[in-house]
Amino acid sequence: MPNHDPPTRYTGVAQTFHWIIAALIVTQFIIAWTAEDLPQGMHKLALLGRHKSVGMTVLMLAILRLLWRFKHPPPDLPSAMTPVQRRLARATHIAFYVLLFAMPLTGWMMSSAKNYSVSWWGLFTWPDLIGKNETAFNILKATHDTLSFILLVLAVLHVLAALKHHFWNKDDVFVRMLPFTKSEKRS
Amino acid sequence: MMRRAYGSVAIFAAAAAASAAGPATSYMADPAASRLEFTGVQEGAEFKGTFRKFTAAVDFAPDALASARFDVQIDLNSLDTMDKDRDQTIRGPDLFDIAHYPTAHYVTRSFTKTAAGYTAVGALTLHGVTKDVPIDFQFVSAAGKSKIEGTAKLKRLEFGVGQGDWKSTSEVKDEVKVAFSLVLKPAT
Repeated sequence: MPNHDPPTRYTGVAQTFHWIIAALIVTQFIIAWTAEDLPQGMHKLALLGRHKSVGMTVLMLAILRLLWRFKHPPPDLPSAMTPVQRRLARATHIAFYVLLFAMPLTGWMMSSAKNYSVSWWGLFTWPDLIGKNETAFNILKATHDTLSFILLVLAVLHVLAALKHHFWNKDDVFVRMLPFTKSEKRS
Repeated sequence: MMRRAYGSVAIFAAAAAASAAGPATSYMADPAASRLEFTGVQEGAEFKGTFRKFTAAVDFAPDALASARFDVQIDLNSLDTMDKDRDQTIRGPDLFDIAHYPTAHYVTRSFTKTAAGYTAVGALTLHGVTKDVPIDFQFVSAAGKSKIEGTAKLKRLEFGVGQGDWKSTSEVKDEVKVAFSLVLKPAT
């Protein structure tokens, strides 16, 4: 008999996507902030090269993650959550998915607009999305920067919300995304 | 006295041999229609650059390779990689160092016929260093118009193009590809 009970935890695959992408995004911020302070030169070029390879990795993982999610719906939110809280949680998660695509895509377009093609770890080169265009580059850079700020704010909210669920509400919202744990019926 | 006479004979013999094969025709590359490009690899991705200003004097005829000669002068400041920051970096002291070496110069020494076209060996002077760089090219002459299209490969570090950080080849590869297309006009 197939099990039709709604899932109570994220699948191992979903957890893997979540934590790997989270770690890569933290890496991206560290690389970007370091590169930003460097003068034009080889170190900056090298860091931005890594930033692009990591970013394209995030984009590929985001596609797989989204496909996985369509097939494997996430567990329901705790019944104790209010409609407003649910809407907020849902909006945040949708925004994350949008950013998972928008960040690498704007970065990729930025590189194309500046005529610095994007390589993936030196193994192959991605096609340029748009032609060389300085105005487009400036707009895309501003967009990429703004989106990164929004992503940072959302990430902080996301972490605070997860901790609040765990320590304040004492439900399993945090634990069910945590590998090697078991969800107890806490709510 | 004797040696000098012998030398004259040798020069006369060489001149006779050259004229027997027909002299090479003298051309100048049409600056508006010709192009000289290079392709480098940075961070694993290729980027293309063009030299907007160069002159190429070409003496060439397929049956007179002995008297063929290319003489190319390149204004390095005219480089364009479609990004100002990159252009400035390449012009700078650690790469082309155009403040000290504003031009590059290429002069051929010998030509040979190959299956696909021709190979020439010539000396490239770049960044104060002179080294042999062979070029492969095809000579196309049709409807009274002549054109030379070819490629070359060189290693930037052999010419010292890459000082300080740029000596490393992990971010910018040593090998640079060159491609050229010269639309020839009779030299006046």
